[in-house]
Amino acid sequence: MIGIIFLAQTIRIAMPYFFAAAGGVVSERVGIIGLSLEGFMLTGAFCTVLGSYYSGDPWIGLLCGIAGGMAAALILAVATIRFRADQVVAGIAINLLAIGATRFFLRLFFNSSSNSPRVVGFGGEQSAGGLFATFGNPIVWLGLITLPVLGLVLYRTPFGLRLRAVGEHPQAARSLGVSVNRLRYIGVILSGALAGLGGAYLASDQHQFTDGMTAGRGFIALAAVIFGRWDPKRVALACLLFAAAETLQIQLQGLQLVPSQFVEMIPYVLTIIALVGVVGRASPPAALGKME
Amino acid sequence: MRVHKNRSREFHTLIHTLLALTIVALAGCGPAGTGRDEGETGRPFRVALLTPGSISDQSWNGGAYAGLERIRDSLGAQISHIQTRTPAEFEENFRQYGAQGYDLVFGHGFEFQDAAVRVAPDYPKTLYVTTSGNQVRDNVAGITFSFEEASYLAGVVAGSMSRSGVVGAIGGTELPPVRASFQAFERGARDVNPEIRVLTSYIGNWDDVTAGKEQALAQMGRGADILFQNADAAGLGIFQAARENRNVYVIGSNANQNGIAPEVTLGSVVIELPHAFLLVAREVKEGNFKPRVISLGTEEDVVVWVANPVLAERIPPAVRQQLDSLEVLMRAGTFNLPGLERAFPDKH
Repeated sequence: MIGIIFLAQTIRIAMPYFFAAAGGVVSERVGIIGLSLEGFMLTGAFCTVLGSYYSGDPWIGLLCGIAGGMAAALILAVATIRFRADQVVAGIAINLLAIGATRFFLRLFFNSSSNSPRVVGFGGEQSAGGLFATFGNPIVWLGLITLPVLGLVLYRTPFGLRLRAVGEHPQAARSLGVSVNRLRYIGVILSGALAGLGGAYLASDQHQFTDGMTAGRGFIALAAVIFGRWDPKRVALACLLFAAAETLQIQLQGLQLVPSQFVEMIPYVLTIIALVGVVGRASPPAALGKME
Repeated sequence: MRVHKNRSREFHTLIHTLLALTIVALAGCGPAGTGRDEGETGRPFRVALLTPGSISDQSWNGGAYAGLERIRDSLGAQISHIQTRTPAEFEENFRQYGAQGYDLVFGHGFEFQDAAVRVAPDYPKTLYVTTSGNQVRDNVAGITFSFEEASYLAGVVAGSMSRSGVVGAIGGTELPPVRASFQAFERGARDVNPEIRVLTSYIGNWDDVTAGKEQALAQMGRGADILFQNADAAGLGIFQAARENRNVYVIGSNANQNGIAPEVTLGSVVIELPHAFLLVAREVKEGNFKPRVISLGTEEDVVVWVANPVLAERIPPAVRQQLDSLEVLMRAGTFNLPGLERAFPDKH
């Protein structure tokens, strides 16, 4: 029984990580640093609620969320690819922009500075928390197949090959006729769509948008990407690991064996250990962060 | 061509210098400190508020802002509000208000008092009041809310109505007032049902709604069917979790949260923050405020249990009678809970 609860909660918590980390893999494999995953997620969450509110249909909300993530990604793409802005700076700028813009439009559309009104969402209608409710949410199924499908695309399709080539050695790719900049744009916008989908999951699970609701998940997803060495299979495991740590923290809280502050530290300490242990052997895509 | 370039560069330098001077001049023309030599009665009464979170959280911070507005409406004060994000900003903003000559600055939360104590000596004409604070200086005071009494009532309701024998309390971070509130809650539940199990968890922050919902689901997985939440914005996730599971009730905190999810909320432990703020501001404006720790609870009608009218008939009549008689004791000031940890034991 405890095992089922633990599993269900780990999967629920891992969902936004799966989506955002998939976006991170795409973006970084094509050579653009994925620091804006947080901003894409937040924008996606907000647009989901906007769409659900005005249409009354959660699927339209989902599509709006994806579109929102893509719109935010377009800004990053233009800044880094067309105008050669420093990718770290631009990435952080997009995150700040997302925080400010969502707050602004939250005030504009819903006249609140902290949360939107309730909208329709997905899942959780029956005895929330169990496996049944968790898998009753269609977005969960999407999330579970995202990274495996991404792995297939990256390693088994010509498109994936070209994408990876652009991230490793753009000059060589260009010399073989690959349209390098077009692939970069596609990669970044795709990462925005995926991260936006992660935000859509968060918002539709809560049935509302709350200011800053992503709470740093985009950065944890990026850590998962690095921990998983940019390989979708390993990244999926990394996401599960981080989610399991958070679930452990939540479940331990109620037991009151250890002061709550120490328990809260578990996911972050694990993140540090994971990254310290891995960083020495990490080999990112060779052209990551560089524009020739 | 070279002559043209030189002149062009000089011209540009001139424009830039003029622009810079203009900007500096405009910045200097901002709201300046008021002239202190006008005398007390001529100046407007200026009151400021720093909140640790958003004022639309429908809870802790929203109540404080409502208090600020009531001060403006009832006492004709000029008000200002800043939402601070980091502890570094506490001190910075206290200094700014002090420099601008504000009469009264509220720091809304226990976390503000260190900064207030550091800043206060530099601005002796400004009174710094921290809510839930217990530090007193010449111009620093604290308002403490006795959550204990109303939380005890919440515990009585939870203990009487729990069908599973397990109730839960979820907080943001483990601040002393929150801990005291939960302990009183546990005491109230245990006094009506000695077998009751009370689960206590802390989310770790006040903003992450998803984490709040997961904490609630975890407690519900352990059988909790009444959840007492004190987690500001993150608490909204707890309401959401209760909504999705029809057998679970929630008790709100800090503001009247009975309207957030009326079908699952039994009631709220409401801090009448506007009333509390007004009491303090009125004393300050009249000039007879003595820096001290002001303790406000059910007796002063500041921290009260407000049942949700929508679910009123679900609370058994026996329980309602018990609540009423307890409240009478509390209002009379004769209610005593020996052995209960108060948030600030040297008060009362």
